Amino acid sequence: MKGIGPILIVSLLGLAVGLAAWNGVLVATPAQAQQLFQRQPELTEILTEPLEPEGKPGEEFPVPFAPLPRTITPCRACHGPEKDFPISHNRREPLLIHTTIKLNHGGVRVWCLDCHHPEQRDYLIPLSDGKLIPFDRSYLLCGKCHGTKFRDWRYGIHGKRTGFWNGTKTYYLCVNCHNPHSPRFKPLEPMPPPHKPWTPKETAASEGGWKP
Amino acid sequence: MSDRRFMNEAVPDKGDRERKSDPSPGSPQQQGTDLSRRTFLAGAAAVMGMFAVNSCTWQEFIQNNFRRMTKKEIDETTERLKAEYREKYGKDFVVGTESPIDGTLFAYALDIQRCIGCRRCVHGCVEENNQSRDPEIQYIRVLRFKDGDMDLEHSDIYYNPDEVPQKGYYYMPVQCQHCANAPCTKVCPVQATWTEPDGIVVVDYNWCIGCRYCMAACPYMGRWFNFADPVIPKDEVNTETHYLGNRPRMRNVVEKCTFCIQRVRKGKYPKCVEVCPVGVRKFGNLLDPDSEVSRIIRTKRVFRLKEDLNTQPKFYYFFE
Repeated sequence: MKGIGPILIVSLLGLAVGLAAWNGVLVATPAQAQQLFQRQPELTEILTEPLEPEGKPGEEFPVPFAPLPRTITPCRACHGPEKDFPISHNRREPLLIHTTIKLNHGGVRVWCLDCHHPEQRDYLIPLSDGKLIPFDRSYLLCGKCHGTKFRDWRYGIHGKRTGFWNGTKTYYLCVNCHNPHSPRFKPLEPMPPPHKPWTPKETAASEGGWKP
Repeated sequence: MSDRRFMNEAVPDKGDRERKSDPSPGSPQQQGTDLSRRTFLAGAAAVMGMFAVNSCTWQEFIQNNFRRMTKKEIDETTERLKAEYREKYGKDFVVGTESPIDGTLFAYALDIQRCIGCRRCVHGCVEENNQSRDPEIQYIRVLRFKDGDMDLEHSDIYYNPDEVPQKGYYYMPVQCQHCANAPCTKVCPVQATWTEPDGIVVVDYNWCIGCRYCMAACPYMGRWFNFADPVIPKDEVNTETHYLGNRPRMRNVVEKCTFCIQRVRKGKYPKCVEVCPVGVRKFGNLLDPDSEVSRIIRTKRVFRLKEDLNTQPKFYYFFE
């Protein structure tokens, strides 16, 4: 019992300080908010953006079109109020449908409903705040597991950006390069190598012998 | 050889060199016949020389170093170049002369761990920067190393498999490193190459005499020489150019990577950054603590090529 007192006090103090800090952020004045924005522009841009599925790729956070076939996106065509196909909650069991998708992500640990919302099929599993993640903002979900990569991506270290080094950038999302079902980057055909410099010996050798 | 003749040659004044007499104070007047003939021959030779050299107009011949040009001279020069390029390529060119943006020092970072060696950057650069297709000039070399080997002598730039990346190899693209202590600019006998205030090492192609000292001094093989007239297909030529950057070059001058000066001075990313399919190429302002390169230098493991030579490159290779 002797040791618990100080620990309790310290932890309570820490909690109080943390709460105060959190409140400070929540009730930040415009000036403080401005400071926050300046310190971490990318982070605040992402998190303060409204999570609306219909929101077009905005000017603040421009992204190229997500590589998602637009015709398929309304999953509610099958998984909706009209036609509610049953959902398999069993892990690692082959499905009767969606057989074209080969899941090769995270070994045996990941299964469909670890990312896809079981009821709201047009959304992904929500963050801890309970807000659903639309497919356009899938990077928020990726960041739940791949936190360090997500941090690097936010700062532009991981992943690709185009546009202006001192202005508007176009961010390539996780899914622009990594297929979420099989995330390893696919090999590419290289472009042609440079010509070898002209040398009498090698050029003549390819034409059948060199005579000095 | 008299001093006067040297003076007359050094200050070319549009062909009226065949002056009968130009007595400087103290020179004997009685040598007039001899001197005037000598002056005439020298002047005529200079004038003939100017017009005899193909692809060199007299305006080009008397053109000043870019750093010494006045605003008016720069405007005249760009207008002349535009006309020249329109005649040659049948397109309207933009020859920009944008100055450095205040408070910028450009640096580059490249993720050596993720580069797959696909050479998209090499060919994107060729198209953006109007490099000669034949003879071939490419500012970027992609070196392929065996895993665990860091000896540049063992690297290969001619690899050509069906697919990259190959197992057991890693790739390291090398281009101009834009050294803060650049040896190439120090050896130039005519100061045709220099470091701009924003850190870009540039060449004034019209001032370059083609001695190639800079190529010998560069430890990264970051400079290329136009041994023949550059060949650029008319439909592939990039008309958005900069005087110190990607404007079409002539024979017998040295050229190099300029971080796409025509793009970065307008705020855009260089072309190699834009075309990289895996996003290993990072570009930004070293003086901005929030820029991508600053963060990389702060938070990642970073090295520079041949650091022991004290060239202080602004090109950082990084890995996790």
